[in-house]
Amino acid sequence: MFCYQCEQTYRSDDLAGCSGSKGMCGKDAATADLQDVLIHVCEGIGQYAVRARALDATDPEADRFLLYAFFTTLTNVNFNASRFVDMIAQAAQIRDRVKAAYEVAARAAGKAPEALSGPAAFVPAQDLNGLLAQAGEAAVRMDLSVVGADVVGLRSLVLYGLKGVCAYAHHAAVLGQERNAVFEAVEHALDLLASKPTELGPLLEEALALGRANFTAMEALDAANTGAFGTPEPTEVRVSPVKGKAILVSGHDLKDLHAILEATKGAGVNVYTHGEMLPAHSYPAFKAYPHLVGNYGGAWQDQQREFAEFPGPIVMTSNCLIEPQTRYRGRLFTAGPVGWTGIRHIKDEDFRPVVQAALALPGFAEDAPAETITIGFGRDAVLGVADRIIAAVKAGAIRHFFLVGGCDGAAPGRNYYTDFAEAAPQDTVILTLGCGKYRFNRNDFGAIDGLPRLLDMGQCNDAYSAVVVASKLAEAFGVGVNELPLSLIVSWFEQKAAAVLLTLLALGVRNVRLGPTLPAFLTPALVDVLVDKFGILPIGEAKADIEAALTRAA
Amino acid sequence: MPTIELTTRDGERVTFAAEPTETLLDAAARANIFLPAVCREGGCGSCRVTRQTGEVEHGPYSKAALSDAERAAGEILLCRTQARSDLELKAPFDRAAIGFMPIPERNAAIAELSSAGSSAVRLVLRLADDPMWGRAAEFIPGQFVELALPGTLIRRAYSLANTPNWDGTLEFLIRLQPNGAFSSYFADRAKIGDMLVVRGPQGSFTVDEASQAPRWFVAGGTGLAPMLAILRQMAEFGDPRDCRLFFGVNREEELFAAEEIETLKTALPQLKVALCVWKPEPGWTGFSGTPTDALASALAGLGTLPDLYVCGPPALIEAAEAVALKAGIAHDRVFSEQFLRA
Repeated sequence: MFCYQCEQTYRSDDLAGCSGSKGMCGKDAATADLQDVLIHVCEGIGQYAVRARALDATDPEADRFLLYAFFTTLTNVNFNASRFVDMIAQAAQIRDRVKAAYEVAARAAGKAPEALSGPAAFVPAQDLNGLLAQAGEAAVRMDLSVVGADVVGLRSLVLYGLKGVCAYAHHAAVLGQERNAVFEAVEHALDLLASKPTELGPLLEEALALGRANFTAMEALDAANTGAFGTPEPTEVRVSPVKGKAILVSGHDLKDLHAILEATKGAGVNVYTHGEMLPAHSYPAFKAYPHLVGNYGGAWQDQQREFAEFPGPIVMTSNCLIEPQTRYRGRLFTAGPVGWTGIRHIKDEDFRPVVQAALALPGFAEDAPAETITIGFGRDAVLGVADRIIAAVKAGAIRHFFLVGGCDGAAPGRNYYTDFAEAAPQDTVILTLGCGKYRFNRNDFGAIDGLPRLLDMGQCNDAYSAVVVASKLAEAFGVGVNELPLSLIVSWFEQKAAAVLLTLLALGVRNVRLGPTLPAFLTPALVDVLVDKFGILPIGEAKADIEAALTRAA
Repeated sequence: MPTIELTTRDGERVTFAAEPTETLLDAAARANIFLPAVCREGGCGSCRVTRQTGEVEHGPYSKAALSDAERAAGEILLCRTQARSDLELKAPFDRAAIGFMPIPERNAAIAELSSAGSSAVRLVLRLADDPMWGRAAEFIPGQFVELALPGTLIRRAYSLANTPNWDGTLEFLIRLQPNGAFSSYFADRAKIGDMLVVRGPQGSFTVDEASQAPRWFVAGGTGLAPMLAILRQMAEFGDPRDCRLFFGVNREEELFAAEEIETLKTALPQLKVALCVWKPEPGWTGFSGTPTDALASALAGLGTLPDLYVCGPPALIEAAEAVALKAGIAHDRVFSEQFLRA
């Protein structure tokens, strides 16, 4: 295996990337290799799909498969080798279907179909060992010695950005919101990757095109979530347990949470959100369920302890799943794209086994002392008080905004984001989204003229909301986004964050501070490009970074 | 054995013993002390603590998890460190970050009791609802529990033969030993509704999920129980992995679980089963000999070597290990659980 797609990838003096028998995330070598092969076959689908689309022969089912298949290869999603063996066979069938449709359409248009090579012509082996033997030709560093590290790094940026786009687009698609522009961008990127491009320019252009596609995907997801569940509103959420039987729902999939709440109606079981599911409490449709009682635990990296202590079943609806420990693996369930060998998987939203488990497990014996946090500052809530915000900025009561967002690594010494939030001066407002906020979202930050200083905007995909707020405020002040008293402090962990970063770059947002570390796939030369062209900065020391942001703005 | 004393950030002390051959993380877990850790292989830094006194041996790790400066300041990774003397450690986390889980002790009623061949019984228990554990039967296939007769201190370990479930069902295959305390209870006095104390789940004889190798199971007598549990779980999950079962008894009349094995063959079409009788009567159509004899002939000339899971009396395990060695199966790909005389 070789994988360096996430932030926590193995780093030593002479190597960046996981290449042993198991990655840092717990993904074993066979699964990693099979994921490479799956992506390779998907590139073949892209090759034919691009050409078929040009002849108006689209195949939305194939596009949906691409979103789902790519989602399974994100960090901390699917660790089940046999699921990948099945998906590779399925991908090859779909590729052949798209190929046939393309050839029919080409002939109908009086053209000779192109004979494609590379992934388009790849024949995957029938069994696990055969597929593992083929993994070499699908590896990200396959031609490293020929094309060099910069090209491989930029291809990786495109590939991982594409994964993020697919994940968001899949979440939107399950709620019925699809965008042709996204399907087109996905196919285009796959076709480009299949051609093994060696020029940096077109690759960088492709990365920015994916950034734009990701903006569309996040817009679709925003429309899907607000369309299905209403507009998020400021909401107090209980973060301590209440007595009774309990189910914990983690991941990002609001549709699964909805299905679980329906399955538990009147069953005497309380439902808790975990991690990135927290923002659900701010949607009117979810607030209507009295048995959605609160949020439990912290960020994903604490799950091994927290799940062990949770007295009921746990459902992972998307990432981040980490190696399930003995003490809770029997009551852990996966759903959607998630999987782990030996862990029960829920198919077709039939959550009845989870309800049975909740009734059989002890639940919380007593109420814990009540503790709440306030969330739900999506774009409507923030823009609803835009006049007050603008007045406070003009009066000097708010000096600066910091968007501290994204997802955090596991290392306990990394207090940068907490230090940053705590050291931000009293006349600054902190907007936050993603999972990194669990390091500071129980702290009391106070208020400015009645506006809370900490505004929780939602999941990582609510970066869309943040961009909308920033551009509306820029409009109101009559300046560009980069002239706003706003700094973006982004922590990235996996590929959705890579896609969000590409979106910010594509929108021309400059001076993003990126941490906890820079991606291992970006070579020093590529980092220089990002610094020169887009003003990206690595994080430094919290107080100094705050000072620099305030000085820049002043 | 070195003693490790860990002081948490909130000043609590946690003490455990560590063999020089195990990591501090594993040593603590063995004492039911679950210290914070995520990757468990030196990459994430979640298990970083400071060594204040004592000598250690530190294995390879990622510089991202532990910088040279931190290392020089005495910091170590629990997942990568072995003790070379008593140690005093200072942790950057509170005691609340540590998991302490006692082995569950629960009451269960006998729901079914029937004979399984001429020298074993099949026992089904139903767990009573419990404020701490609920009524769920949570365990990993391959694990065992200890059963205690009510009002006695006598405990015996038995592997579970069924899969985890939410109605509290525990199934066992128990060999009747002449004059054994438990055996005579099950043979003579036990009746439906009797309450037993169940202590567990325990044990680490579980499948290596990460391995892609075929799984071969070698069972002697009631050593079939954990194999049934594992195979039934594979059937539940539709696991497509290659698997074989070598199940042996001394005499034909001792065979049992024929129906369960047939059900498994239907649910797992790839499963091959060798029924082995050491001293068969004329007319026996299965394998004549021990399950390790059958194993040896199946391994001959094989391309992809399997992982071996062996459960039964000590002699069976020794024989299986010898066969594995000869066939070139690495020692750490042979997993065994030994049955002691009860």
